[in-house]
Amino acid sequence: MGLAKYVIRRLLYMIPLILGISIVVFLVMYAAGDPIQIATAGNPSITEAQRQFLREYYGLNDPIPVQYVRWLDHFLHFDFGKSLYGGKPVNEIISIYFWETLKLQLVSILLAFAISIPIGVYSAVKQRSWFDYIFSGISIAGVSFPVFFLGIIFILVFSYQLGWLPSAGAHGAPQLWPVFGIQNPFLDELAHLAMPATVLTLAGLAYNTRLLRAGMLEVLRQDYIMAARASGIPERKILLKYALKNAIMPLITLLGMSIGFAIAGAPATETVFSWPGLGRAYVTAASRLDFPLIMGITMIITIMILVANLITDISYAAIDPRISID
Amino acid sequence: MDLLQVNDLKTYFFTEAGVVKAVDGITFNVEKGCTVGLVGESGSGKSVTAQSVLRIVPRPGKIIGGKIFFNGEDILSKKEDEMRSYRGKKISLIFQDPTSSLNPVFTIGSQLTEIVSQHKGVKKSDAAEEVIKALSLVRLPDPEEALNRYPHQFSGGMKQRICIARALLLNPELLFADEPTTNLDVTIQAQIINLLMELQKNIGLTLVMITHDMGIVTQMCKCVVVLYAGNVMEIGSIEQIFQMPHPYTEALLKAVPRLDQTRKLVSIPGNIPNLINPPSGCRFHPRCQYAIDRCKDEIPPLIDVGDGHMISCHRWRELNGG
Amino acid sequence: MVSLALRKRGSRKGQERRSASQWAVAWRRFKKHKSGLLGLGMVVALILVAIFHSFIAPYPARPDPNAFLPLYEGEAGQPPSWKHPFGTTIIGNDVFSEVVHGTVYTLYVAIGTTLIAMLITVVVGISSGYLGGKIDDLLMRITEVFLVFPSLLLILVFARIYQLINPEPFWNVLGISIPVNLTMIVVIVAVFAWAGNARVIRGEVLALKEKEFIQAAKSLGANSRWIMLRHIFPNILPQVIVIATLTMASAVLVEAVVSFLGFGDPSTITWGRMMEESFQNMSTTWWAEVFPGLAVFFTVLAFNLMGDGISDALNPRLRE
Repeated sequence: MGLAKYVIRRLLYMIPLILGISIVVFLVMYAAGDPIQIATAGNPSITEAQRQFLREYYGLNDPIPVQYVRWLDHFLHFDFGKSLYGGKPVNEIISIYFWETLKLQLVSILLAFAISIPIGVYSAVKQRSWFDYIFSGISIAGVSFPVFFLGIIFILVFSYQLGWLPSAGAHGAPQLWPVFGIQNPFLDELAHLAMPATVLTLAGLAYNTRLLRAGMLEVLRQDYIMAARASGIPERKILLKYALKNAIMPLITLLGMSIGFAIAGAPATETVFSWPGLGRAYVTAASRLDFPLIMGITMIITIMILVANLITDISYAAIDPRISID
Repeated sequence: MDLLQVNDLKTYFFTEAGVVKAVDGITFNVEKGCTVGLVGESGSGKSVTAQSVLRIVPRPGKIIGGKIFFNGEDILSKKEDEMRSYRGKKISLIFQDPTSSLNPVFTIGSQLTEIVSQHKGVKKSDAAEEVIKALSLVRLPDPEEALNRYPHQFSGGMKQRICIARALLLNPELLFADEPTTNLDVTIQAQIINLLMELQKNIGLTLVMITHDMGIVTQMCKCVVVLYAGNVMEIGSIEQIFQMPHPYTEALLKAVPRLDQTRKLVSIPGNIPNLINPPSGCRFHPRCQYAIDRCKDEIPPLIDVGDGHMISCHRWRELNGG
Repeated sequence: MVSLALRKRGSRKGQERRSASQWAVAWRRFKKHKSGLLGLGMVVALILVAIFHSFIAPYPARPDPNAFLPLYEGEAGQPPSWKHPFGTTIIGNDVFSEVVHGTVYTLYVAIGTTLIAMLITVVVGISSGYLGGKIDDLLMRITEVFLVFPSLLLILVFARIYQLINPEPFWNVLGISIPVNLTMIVVIVAVFAWAGNARVIRGEVLALKEKEFIQAAKSLGANSRWIMLRHIFPNILPQVIVIATLTMASAVLVEAVVSFLGFGDPSTITWGRMMEESFQNMSTTWWAEVFPGLAVFFTVLAFNLMGDGISDALNPRLRE
């Protein structure tokens, strides 16, 4: 019963945050210069009259506050305007890339979460064993390894050297990628997903195991663990039920945050694998300073991050009875 | 008959800084149905002794020597599975801080019924029945309601009652209470002490009271084991240790604040020794006001000075006019 | 990400002002920390290479025309050899020399970003935690905005706008030429790298505020600025050092990403820039891609190892 109230309060609380962020981004971009001048700089044949027409078309001649209010009005109708390049609606562009990013990120985040649990728990239980040393070493190296560089290594080895997997894109074109000689749309998708998903999983895994190991070490020192031992509860149950439920809290926070930020895509990783996702779209938009598209993507990502935070807080309260949501 | 016999027990902690000899050759017996005080300052090895008896010494600690007999059975040689069936069922432990010894993210009911079903393999509903019985035994108000609540919804005193119920759930023969009142308010302390004394009398429990509070010892115990820096200094009845105490016990007794005396509170000068490099000879000698050269060089043996009064001191006889 | 890794470390009980001997104790503990020492050694090596880069590198840095000597000698796009240990790029630069020169920019990015970010972190964290009230409210709202900002995306937009403004490539400060565009990137990255850490510091300060020695200083009539500077700051310093080390690591990573994506300083050859340049040709000249990448990796690893070591040395509770 308190839940609905809490969610509504949190959603209301997001409004000023979203407004604030949109104003800041809007001001920064539109104060930076004339977007039409920038967008057409590479086109020598364009005339000033054509530029003027474009400015009129995109409504760039009005004062900035007027432009902002108009943008806001459209935003409230879920309309982010049109791209400065090709004039495609921003909504359309985002919806194309959004799902590709979501697919890639969801697969990697869930895999990283699932795999990190046994490794993190076992490392903590066998603290200072060879297993712990090896995995702690790998995970600090993993945290330090630039993710896009890992992607580059993968491409060098598995595409260029071994020729096993496609180096670019999310789908085979013009023809499907053969997996063990079989050409099948699903296998083709898997083959394209394999490398970027593995790279992002490994990156996430490095963070997760470090966090979970530290959390488990902290929890295993607690009296309630010793109390469970003193009551004759089997060690297995102590670790996987009593300790893990406490130690997993920070991981839940990380999971929530990473789902939010994952929508931002991993711009560098997506670029390396030519993945047709939001991150790569953003890189392109930023390099062309395609302002309507930048605004659209920024707002979508910000909203996703805020919603993910909200879901995190709710699930936190569901796991930890000490945290109440009202 | 002695329910528990601890013989030359050695439990060391293998830390990065070196080997901490937390328990270094401790010997004592606990008579069935008796309340024994295990006394000493923090770091004297009291808690580790209890953990050793249950064989739940946390890493990097390890029992490296000695024997522990429970009901005449050598429990250090038992397999882990068999040992586990002892924990909670035959030997139990109550912790110092009730807040941190209850798992915050599980209900009281789920934590306690788990123990019953673990040992007895009974249905959830039957287990819940037993838990409610134990909770009423420690006089927790509204025990049925309590099953569905979480630890943070109870006060410290109530939490400690729950912990006591948890320890008594399976009618153990031996109960270690590790400073069970230290983290509680003074008024609650008295309630918990009274509850423990009452339970001990009614169920015929054997209770080992671990404490640094000589006041509690005199109130509850018949017999006292005094530990210092991992060694036994003195074993004796309350009368024996009050009349002719070991120099360390004497210092501890002086440190007890008493309402009937206006005497200044004396704290024992000096610090608990570093257990990686413990002092030579008698471990108490650097802080002992009676220490002589011999105390520095020679470890005093634990000897019976009459009527079961055991003392580890070179000078005790001479100081007590012997 | 830095702030995430630290949240756990933020909780420490009772600590008084650390005296010199406490620092000595921490140093003694650090000396026993093998991976921490390894990190320190790597950082020292990095600094030495940066100082002596012009002696170590066989070829000068671009824009010096001699940077293209391998091209004139017909050695463009060559794999690693004795003459060119990391090979040469397709346009004819010695990769080893460029990696060596790159250390200077990398350290500039690491230190510059961290100095600015830590200044904001500490000022916001302390004033928010100590002064409380309206100031705290305002600062925490701002912090929240920065926490939910998709920061990398904003950094890219800023960097691109700045590229287009097309400033003079170098400032001459006391005979040292400072790359202007890179400096802007440093500032932008720093502006987005403080929010999570400021919250951690605020938490520490809130705990410290209740300590007796702070209360005592207050009752003796010390003013707020004095207390914050003389009592609060020295006590959060260990935490600040750990955060700073880890911020250096993430600053190097972020700059590499920004440059790799083509938003870097066009007039400086950072490791990320090198990777961007060789990306299209990496199927043939893989060495021109891999060696700068490894340089980024080892640098970030060095800072992370050192940070872990310092953190363990200052919070011994976390180690058995």
